[in-house]
Amino acid sequence: METLYDRFSRQAFGLAYRILGDGPSAEDVVQEAFLTIWRQADRLDPARGRVISFLMTVVHHKAIDLLRSRRGQVTEPLPLNPILAEQGADVLEMAARSMGRDAIRQALQSLPEEQRNSIEMAYFQGLTHVEIAAALGIPLGTVKSRLRLGLEKMRAALRIRPD
Amino acid sequence: MDCEEIRELAGAYALKALPPEILQEVKAHLAGCTAHPDIADLEALAQSLAWTAPEKTPPAALKARLMTAIRGETTEERRTSWILAWPWPRLAPQALIAVLMVAVVGLLTWNIVLQISQDDGQGITFVRSMTDSGAASGRIIYMQEQGTALLIVEGLEPLPSDMTYQVWAIDESGPQGIGLFTTTPTAEGTIVLQVDLSRATSIAITIERAGGSLLPTSAPILSAEI
Repeated sequence: METLYDRFSRQAFGLAYRILGDGPSAEDVVQEAFLTIWRQADRLDPARGRVISFLMTVVHHKAIDLLRSRRGQVTEPLPLNPILAEQGADVLEMAARSMGRDAIRQALQSLPEEQRNSIEMAYFQGLTHVEIAAALGIPLGTVKSRLRLGLEKMRAALRIRPD
Repeated sequence: MDCEEIRELAGAYALKALPPEILQEVKAHLAGCTAHPDIADLEALAQSLAWTAPEKTPPAALKARLMTAIRGETTEERRTSWILAWPWPRLAPQALIAVLMVAVVGLLTWNIVLQISQDDGQGITFVRSMTDSGAASGRIIYMQEQGTALLIVEGLEPLPSDMTYQVWAIDESGPQGIGLFTTTPTAEGTIVLQVDLSRATSIAITIERAGGSLLPTSAPILSAEI
């Protein structure tokens, strides 16, 4: 676990900090996420590269959960069973490996500002499309379009093709 | 909700940005519709946003705290591993009841000890020492009113994974298995058995194959007359 921590704590803490915006809360989330991984270590398959993917999935979910709980909202329970979370971890790993992390950052940055902002509000602030519409004072349909078009443009930029 | 609505919501769905009630509708549609294979791509993209957060070095104290927490859980795991090792799926019904009760061994033990200390032993039907010719020893404390027996053993060596200790209550009809256990590396353990010993004439512990036996297959290593 120490090796895992040394290798991935910067990514995990970076994600938690990006979502929560304060160090102590981000530390709590990262600690809980690593403990989750440690408790299920015997059921994860490091050879398939899922540990970091599962770790990032857990960090994101716990951080958003904390953020939403501060707003009095409830988050859908995370499937802590790694087998159930396998699909999500797989796509995350696939995305990172096939596209490259820099390419993902560039694809996001290349989006029109209003699409990027809406996507970031959803992913990093845990807001629903209804909340984004209310926060920006724009029609709900516009938010739906921004989220969908933004992701589709990222897909085109990264040239993801279905198997 | 039709396919067109699903297409409109695809981005919000992939980003997990749908209120619960709408999310359920989308899930219900996707479960029975094969017209949206591209949603998996969008989900992959949404999850890949994790990599767009700038890396940040956590404080050194976090690592120390995490390692301390892990060590704490490891200690706790060792303490309870002998309980968790019970091969419950293969147990006879009577033994299964005992196993289920052992799952709350800590709380029950504490309760029983508390009760003994509070009422000077009132409520205890009997206490018997269990001995043999070796280093192992044990005590069984039975409280008929609660249908509970507390078995405290020490000096019982850890067994290979394919063997187990089995507790027997013997009455005029013969021995009846009432529980299985394995010991800790320190060769001691406390087992709570939810059992009626009102008709038992003796208690015994034998070594059996993992999963337990219907009847004893070896001589008792600890026993007590009641």
